[in-house]
Amino acid sequence: MSPQKPKRFKASLKKASLQFLGLMPMILSVVGLIGLFQGFVSQEALASLFTGNPWIDTLIGTLAGAVAVGQAMVSYILGGELLEQGISLYAVTAFVLAWVTLGLVQLPLEAEVLGLRFTVWRNLLALLFTILTAVATVATLELLS
Amino acid sequence: MSIRFRGLKLLGFVTSAYLLGAWIEPDKTAHAFMAGAKIFGELLLIFPLIILITALIDYRFDAKTFARHLGEESGAKGWALALGAGVLSHGPMYAWYPMFEEIRAHGVRYGLMAAFFYARSIKIPMLPIMIDYFGAPFTAILTLYILLAAWAQGWIIERFCGQCDGEFKGKS
Repeated sequence: MSPQKPKRFKASLKKASLQFLGLMPMILSVVGLIGLFQGFVSQEALASLFTGNPWIDTLIGTLAGAVAVGQAMVSYILGGELLEQGISLYAVTAFVLAWVTLGLVQLPLEAEVLGLRFTVWRNLLALLFTILTAVATVATLELLS
Repeated sequence: MSIRFRGLKLLGFVTSAYLLGAWIEPDKTAHAFMAGAKIFGELLLIFPLIILITALIDYRFDAKTFARHLGEESGAKGWALALGAGVLSHGPMYAWYPMFEEIRAHGVRYGLMAAFFYARSIKIPMLPIMIDYFGAPFTAILTLYILLAAWAQGWIIERFCGQCDGEFKGKS
């Protein structure tokens, strides 16, 4: 190892630390928003959004999943309960998938770091593909069974 | 080298929301604060790892190496790496954004980042639970379609978001 390397790594470490600290207000904001969501929006309130119409519910499931935050497992549990309530598998799949792929509260941070244009493109595509994937998954499942 | 704090206005807005909430709904706000504090406590464990990886990328890899594996020249290997890394990664996405800023500055393709983000929805440790709730066929089909959707989004972004690069501020 050359004598210059430790000095260079130390400089990289310092740069990375400062870069990270600079983003800390953004990270704290996102964590704060997630806390507010968990404190003010109950799982029952989310479940009550569904109407029973498979197509409208698929859209509602996508949007509810995009707004909701938390561990993926919570979405599975909630999805299981929704199925028991008679909500269509299309809607539940969209909800579970949107829960893990879309995140409204982290949009400001993503836009700050990777640019607004990329963030808008990526999230609109993720929204569209979440609906398409949910529909394709259930349609394939029905075709095979 | 000085710190440039970003998101102070948003932090001010969120703090105001908590103060307003404490006045209107003190119990719910206390619950919200505790939930946020718990999440932040969990994140504290991975922050040093993120800083270390970001520093290692800056120290160990130059733009040329990144271009070969994840840049314009990467081809199918780049897609496979992005999808594989997305499936294997865990923890909240927002915690990893500082690292993404670093790798973007090294020339990683935007399409690969989009594919990575979507492939993250496949959570390997959670698959048994998903199978338990929704069945093995459902889980297998969904997993396959997620990978296809992740690749398709990356492909579309590369074709149609040509000015994404113009937006990137990069690190100083």
